[in-house]
Amino acid sequence: MISAPRKTGLVFFPAFDWAISPEHPEREERLLYTQDQVMEEGLLDIPGIVEYRVRPAAYEDIQRAHFCVPDEAAVTTKSHLISAGGCLVAADAVLKGEVESAFALVRPPGHHAMRVVHGNRGFCNINIEAVMIEYIRTHYGIRKVAIVDTDCHHGDGTQDIYWHDPNTLFISIHQDGRTLYPGSGFPNESGGPNAQGKTVNIPLPPQTGEKGFLYALDELVMPLLEEFGPEIVINSAGQDNHFNDPITNMNFSARGYAVLNKRLKPDIAVLEGGYAIENALPYVNVGIIMAMAGLDTSFVKEPNYEKDYRPQSRDVTLNIEQLVETLKDLFLWGGLKKKPYDEGQILERKRDIFYDTDGIQERQNEKIRCCSHCAGAFSISSTASTGQHIMGVHIPMEACPACRKTALNWFQTGRKGAFKHVYLQDRDRGVYDVV
Amino acid sequence: MILGLDVGGTQTDTVLIDGDRILKATKIPTGDNLLLTLRTALDGILSGVEPEQIERMAFSTTLATNAIVEDRLGRTGMIISAGPGIDPACFSVGPSFHVVEGCLDHQGFEAVPLDKSSVMEAAEKIQEEGINTIGVVGKFSVRNAAHELQISDWVKGLFSHVAMGHSVSGGLNFPRRIFTTYLNASLHELHTAFSGALTHILDEKNLHGPRYLLKPDGGTIDLMRSAGSPARTAQSGPAASVMGALALDGCRGATLVLDVGGTTTDMSVVLDGMPRLNPHGVKLGLYKTLIRSIITHSLGTGGDSVVQVKTNGKMTVGPLRKGPPVAFGGAVATPTDALVTLGLLALGNKVAAKAAMEELGSALGCNAEAAAERVLQQMAETIAQSARAFVYDINAQPVYTIHQVLNEEKIVPASVLIVGGPAPHIAPYVEKALGLPCRVPPHYDVANAVGAAVARVTAQVTLQADTERGTVIIPEAGEEHKTDRRFDMDQAIAMARKTLCRQAMTIGAEDNSLETVITEKQVFNMMRGYRTVGRNIRLKMSITPGLIPQWKRSL
Repeated sequence: MISAPRKTGLVFFPAFDWAISPEHPEREERLLYTQDQVMEEGLLDIPGIVEYRVRPAAYEDIQRAHFCVPDEAAVTTKSHLISAGGCLVAADAVLKGEVESAFALVRPPGHHAMRVVHGNRGFCNINIEAVMIEYIRTHYGIRKVAIVDTDCHHGDGTQDIYWHDPNTLFISIHQDGRTLYPGSGFPNESGGPNAQGKTVNIPLPPQTGEKGFLYALDELVMPLLEEFGPEIVINSAGQDNHFNDPITNMNFSARGYAVLNKRLKPDIAVLEGGYAIENALPYVNVGIIMAMAGLDTSFVKEPNYEKDYRPQSRDVTLNIEQLVETLKDLFLWGGLKKKPYDEGQILERKRDIFYDTDGIQERQNEKIRCCSHCAGAFSISSTASTGQHIMGVHIPMEACPACRKTALNWFQTGRKGAFKHVYLQDRDRGVYDVV
Repeated sequence: MILGLDVGGTQTDTVLIDGDRILKATKIPTGDNLLLTLRTALDGILSGVEPEQIERMAFSTTLATNAIVEDRLGRTGMIISAGPGIDPACFSVGPSFHVVEGCLDHQGFEAVPLDKSSVMEAAEKIQEEGINTIGVVGKFSVRNAAHELQISDWVKGLFSHVAMGHSVSGGLNFPRRIFTTYLNASLHELHTAFSGALTHILDEKNLHGPRYLLKPDGGTIDLMRSAGSPARTAQSGPAASVMGALALDGCRGATLVLDVGGTTTDMSVVLDGMPRLNPHGVKLGLYKTLIRSIITHSLGTGGDSVVQVKTNGKMTVGPLRKGPPVAFGGAVATPTDALVTLGLLALGNKVAAKAAMEELGSALGCNAEAAAERVLQQMAETIAQSARAFVYDINAQPVYTIHQVLNEEKIVPASVLIVGGPAPHIAPYVEKALGLPCRVPPHYDVANAVGAAVARVTAQVTLQADTERGTVIIPEAGEEHKTDRRFDMDQAIAMARKTLCRQAMTIGAEDNSLETVITEKQVFNMMRGYRTVGRNIRLKMSITPGLIPQWKRSL
C-alpha cells in the first residue's frame, strides 16, 4: 500500500455551478477532468492526503487586501468568496500544524486582481493569495512571506498589492509580457521605494520547456528565497505554461510541474490559471498533489507526452541563461542600485489600468511615504469609467507614528474632497473604514 | 410470513414476521461452522411452522467478512492496464499481479492500445502458478470498458472465472476498483459453494420463497445472483441494524441510530427514513472498495467491554474485550456486571458481579452500586463522544458546488434510537450524555434480523454520456451505446431508469418496490478552444435502501 511521506491538505473546489459566461475558459467544465483524474487515481484515499471542505471567506477577509469599489458585494460573487475561503482553509490546515503543506485547488483564480477592485481583470476579481496572506498575518502572527507565481501570465495583481511591502518577496515566472497578457512583468519592475528588490520578475521566452523553468528555479528562485528567509512560501500555481495550453505559448509539462513543486516545496500552493482542461490540468494537478505529498511522480505524464512534447531549443536555452545571469546580478549580487529617498518624502505615480474582462478603464494616482521604519503609508485615488471616483488609504502593519499620522491626514483630507467613497485600511489596528 | 436471519459475531438472531407483527424470535450462539449455525437457527425458528407459509427469507451473514478478515481468500491473479498516474505496483494485490501495456484517458479515449502479447504472457504466468480465477481491471474502464472486455476475451479460455472492474461500480477510483474486483474474484469459489449449500438446506426444509442476502448498503440481493459480486455481501451486519431501526421505528427527522452490542457500539445516521450512505465505498478488512454502504462507525465499547480505573481515577470502558462479564464467569468487570449489580439485568451471578463492582468502587472511593452507576455513565459518555465525532466527520465531507456550500445540509440529530441487547438499560445514560431524547423500539434485541427480513432490493447505475466521443455508457450494466449530439438529460434519465429497473429486477426486486431516485445529476458544455464540441452528462440513479411494501403497508 502507498502512503504520503509528507502530510498534505487538499482543498478542492471546482465550482461546478459557476462560469464567467457559458463559453468562457473560466467555466463549469474547467476542473471537471481534473476531478476525474484525482478521483480515479484514488489520491484522496492515500493516508497522509487529507481533503478539507471549503468555506466562504468573509468581507472582512477581503478588506485586509483590497479596496473594493463601491463595496465587496458589488465586485464579488459567492464563487469568489468560496475560492478565497478555500485558501483560508488551506492556510488554517498548515498553520495549525494539521498538515505539512496544502494545495487550494480552487476556482475562480485571483492573481490579476489588484488592490483597488472595480471589476474583473484577467478572469480575476479578488486576489485569493493576498486575502490568504493577510489572513495569515492577522491570525498567525507571521510577517515575512514569499510568493512564487508560476502562472504563465505575469501576476500583476499580486505584484501591485505587495509593491510597497518589504516583508513580502514576490517572484513571478511567466511568459515574456511582450508576447502575452497582461503585457507587464519585466526585470525593471522591482518594487516600490520602501521595498526595492522585493519584486522579482522572470520573463521567460515563448517555448520555454522543462529545462528552462527548472534552471530559473534552481539558479535564481531558490537562492532568492534562501536570502530572504521567509516564514512561509506560497506558490501561485498557474498551470498554463503547459505545452497543451490553448492560450499561451510555453512548453512545460506535468512532470516538470511536479519536479518544480518538489524543489520549491511551498507551504501552500494555490491554483491560478490553466486552461488545457482535458489534456494538461488533470495530469499537472495530480503531479502537484503527489509532489507535495512526497510521492513518486515518475509515472505522471500526459498521454500525448511522447508524441507532442519537444525539449526547448538551443536559442531558448541561451536566452534564458542570459536572462538569469542579468537577474542574478541585479537581485543576488547587489547590482540593483537602490534609489535613495529622503525620509518622509512623498512619491507619486500615475497609472492607467484596464480591466479586460469587464472593459473598465481606471486611472490611479498613488502617493507613498518613503520610510525606513515601516512599510510606509500610501493612498490611491482612483477614477474609473464606471463613474466611480474613490480614494483608499493604507496603513501598513507595524506602522511608524509618522506614517500613521500622514495616512490619517490623507484620510481626513480625502473625506472633504469630491470622492464618492473614501476607504481607510488600517492593517495595524485591524480596522477598515468607509465613508 | 417472512423470515429474517442475522449472523452476528457472538449471536445469531432469527425472526418470523407476519404483516407488521414479529411472530417469533430466537437467539442462538454463533458457531464456527456458518452453515451449521444457519441450519440450527432455521430448525429453531421453523419448529411448529408450515414452511409453505414462508413467502420470502433474507440472510445477513458473515461469510465474506470473515473470509476477508481471516485472509481465507481464494488465490487470484490480476491483470491490470493503467497508464500514467500513480505507479500501479502500489496497488499490487494477490499472489500474481501483472500490469500490461494499454491506456485510456479520462474521457475513455484510447491513448495506448493494449498489447496482446503482454496480456497473454501475464495470463500464462498466472496459469502456471495453478491459479484459475482472475480479476481484470483498467484505469478509467468505467468510461470505456473496451480494454477490460478485450483482455477478458483473450484470456477467458484459460480460467474458470474472470471478474471485471467496470461492473463493480460506475464510480471513479482505480485502486478501489482493483481491490473490489480482487475481492469479487477471490471470494467467488467460496461464495458459490456457500450459496449452493444454503440453497440445498433451504430446499431440504421446503423453503421455496425468494431468498436474499443483505448488502452493506442496507439492500438485498437474490442469493443465486450474488455470486457475480460476492464482496457485495460483506459487512452487512451494521446495515442490518440500521434497516431494523428503520423498520421498527421509522426514524423520522435526523436520527442517530446506535446498536449497542457485546463488543461494539455501531452508529449511523438516518435522515427522514433514509440512511446516510458512504459516498466512496465500504472498507473491507484492509481493502477500500467501491461497494456502496451505509456510513457506520464501530466503536469498541459494548456491554462486555473491559472497565478499567486508571491511577488518576479516570475510568475507561473498552475498547478491549476479555471474555465474558464476571456475572457469566469472566474475570474482568464490564458494563454488563454494572447492569446486573444494579438489578437492571436479572441474569448471571449477581454476587460475583457485585464483587467486581466493589473492587472498582474501592479504587474510586465508593460502594458497588455507585461504581456501577459510574460505569454506565462512563460507557454512555464514551459513546456520546464518539457519536459527536462521527456526526462532525459526516458534516465535514467536502462539497463541490456553490449551491452545496451555501445550502449546507448539516446533520443535527434531534433524537437517538438505540437497539441491541443492553438498549433499554443504557438509554437513560446515553440520553443524559448526549442531551438528546433516546428511544428504544420494540424487539430492540432482534432488530438486525428484522432489518434483514424487510429490506428491499437496492441497485444503482451510473450513466455517463459524452457526445463528443459519441457514447453513453452505464458500466454497472455493461451497457455502451453510440449516441449523437442531441442526446440530452431527459433521454439520459429515461435510459438510466430503464436500465436501473432491469438491473434491480435481475437481482430479485419485486416490481412494486422500484422507487428510483436521482442521486447525482450534472451536465457540462464541452468546449475546445472557443467551439462547443459536445455535452458531458453525468447521472447517478439508484433504488435507495428502504423497506419492502409488505412491511410498510402494515406499519
